[in-house]
Amino acid sequence: MKHPWLKRLLSLHGFLFLAFVYAPIIIVVVYSFNSHPVNMMVWKDFTFDWYLSIFGNPTKLTEQTLYVESTDQLLSAVKNSLTVALTTTTFATIVGTATALAIYRYHFKLKPFYQGLLYMPMVMPDIVLGIALLVFFINFGVKLGLMSIIIGHCTFLISYVFVVVSARLAGMDSTLEEASADLGANPWATFRRVTFPQILPGIVGGALLAFIISMDDLVITYFIAGVDSTTLPVFIYGMLRRGVKPEINAIATLMLLFSFAIAALGLYFRRRN
Amino acid sequence: MDSIAEVREAVKRFPAPEGGVITALDNISLNIQQGQFMTLLGPSGCGKTTLLRAISGFEDLDSGEVRIAGESVAGVPPYRRPVNTVFQNYALFPHLSVSGNVGYGLDLARVSKTEREQRVGEALERVNLSGFDRRKPAQLSGGQQQRVALARAIINQPKLLLLDEPLSALDRNLRQSMQLELKSLQHDLGICFLFVTHDQEEALTMSDQVVVLDHGRIEQIGPPEELYHQPATRFVAGFIGDGTLFSGTIENSAEDPILVTEGGLRISVANGPSVGTNATLIIRPEHLNIAPQEHDNSLGILDAVLEQSVFQGATRQYVCKLANGASISVSAAGSGDEALSSVNTGDSIRLAYRRDTPHLILES
Repeated sequence: MKHPWLKRLLSLHGFLFLAFVYAPIIIVVVYSFNSHPVNMMVWKDFTFDWYLSIFGNPTKLTEQTLYVESTDQLLSAVKNSLTVALTTTTFATIVGTATALAIYRYHFKLKPFYQGLLYMPMVMPDIVLGIALLVFFINFGVKLGLMSIIIGHCTFLISYVFVVVSARLAGMDSTLEEASADLGANPWATFRRVTFPQILPGIVGGALLAFIISMDDLVITYFIAGVDSTTLPVFIYGMLRRGVKPEINAIATLMLLFSFAIAALGLYFRRRN
Repeated sequence: MDSIAEVREAVKRFPAPEGGVITALDNISLNIQQGQFMTLLGPSGCGKTTLLRAISGFEDLDSGEVRIAGESVAGVPPYRRPVNTVFQNYALFPHLSVSGNVGYGLDLARVSKTEREQRVGEALERVNLSGFDRRKPAQLSGGQQQRVALARAIINQPKLLLLDEPLSALDRNLRQSMQLELKSLQHDLGICFLFVTHDQEEALTMSDQVVVLDHGRIEQIGPPEELYHQPATRFVAGFIGDGTLFSGTIENSAEDPILVTEGGLRISVANGPSVGTNATLIIRPEHLNIAPQEHDNSLGILDAVLEQSVFQGATRQYVCKLANGASISVSAAGSGDEALSSVNTGDSIRLAYRRDTPHLILES
């Protein structure tokens, strides 16, 4: 870096990049407090109305500004999303962690092939997975509903947990397990006292990732959701198709807040270890 | 004396990465007696770590057996063997404190909390780490981690403590003080130590018995003095201590047997070997002196040219070249041999040795 202006250019580039990524998000958050009911991009007054509106308390709103289909529908979508995400995360975390441990510990024929298959769902286009799952469920007579979404999400979220936990295992000093055995711990005690605490940050990280992806997934869920099992992303997508409404900004901001909370939780766990 | 651990005709083979088979242990037998400090010494890949892992239970033998306290431990998993290990990289549990690490074995054995705390305190005191019990391993220096690993391994009062090159990661000064500390710790505890190293100096400093291994075979077992003064094989002679090896055939001269090397060097040796025997003579730096003007028949003489004189603190080393081109070093204590210090580089000198001192290895 000989020239000071080159250095300045680099900082400008960095700033522009961040602006490119974050400006749209900041705009959504700011305009969720804008009281202009028709044109969202024209700032009028500061208001909490859209937030109140999504929770069914339209204090100052008239008929024409109340866009949200119904608060009941929204809350039911949130509940569906949470049910799917929590169930999927629990299941995917257990199976993904167990798979990572098995792959780490045992050597068997076709192991690289098996590992490759485990990475596959992560790179497979969502739309392909969605269609495949839909065809599968229909052919096998599985009723589309929360259950089909949970099964569908598990198919690829197990891979995410597997990858995160595997990375943690690969970074673990394998002599730790030997040291534990050497000091008199049987395999179960070694797992409980050494291996599990060592990979716990990976398990928590994998679980949070799976939870966020499950909460967030639209494409695959769109294919395999039943009539009465709309999740939040599918619900929002449905709203958008009938025009962009101010409440969308409020919902997006709340989801953002929720994601930050999850990320903060992840960071907290990582710090503690 | 009681035998604490015994290895009988142990054989272990591994598939080599490039195909074929590596024999890590080739019919190894040895016996560790009560209270002994035994060292497995050899270059990397000689099988010393495999042997250690066969005793601790992390490696199964292809044939032969390991007996601990008189009983075969075939099929006994590591966690049921009365031995403990100090690992090369220490393998301290990063999520546990120092006292959590040291008390790990006691906790597993369901020793009561009060007794555990007391014994952890004692063990830490033994390794001079009192007051460190609440720290995490990452907050300790390499030397301190080493001491924690040691305390963790001795707290279970094993019959045999296995140490896998535990000092190799320490710097030279720390390593030397740890060597003496380990030796006195072993003496105080009365536990057998089986120590693995590739550093011959370390082996000589600490051991009661040294096992020299090469290519999965035992080259020699004996106390350090014996290995140094009476190496059984060329490998041992070359691996332990400094010195120059001369290989050749014994021929008879007018007075005494002479070792004639391939380079045509004629070195007189003490009586003993019969004519025609192939043999290797090892002459160590301290065996040599400048030849006095007049000498009797007990001295052997080598003609040489002084090439270099190196000051080494307590000693001075003289590097000389022999008639066949081989170099040989001579070490003299203090400011140096008076006769040697008057010699300049490039001068021809006559080096003398007592003919019965250098060790002659006979080859069958």
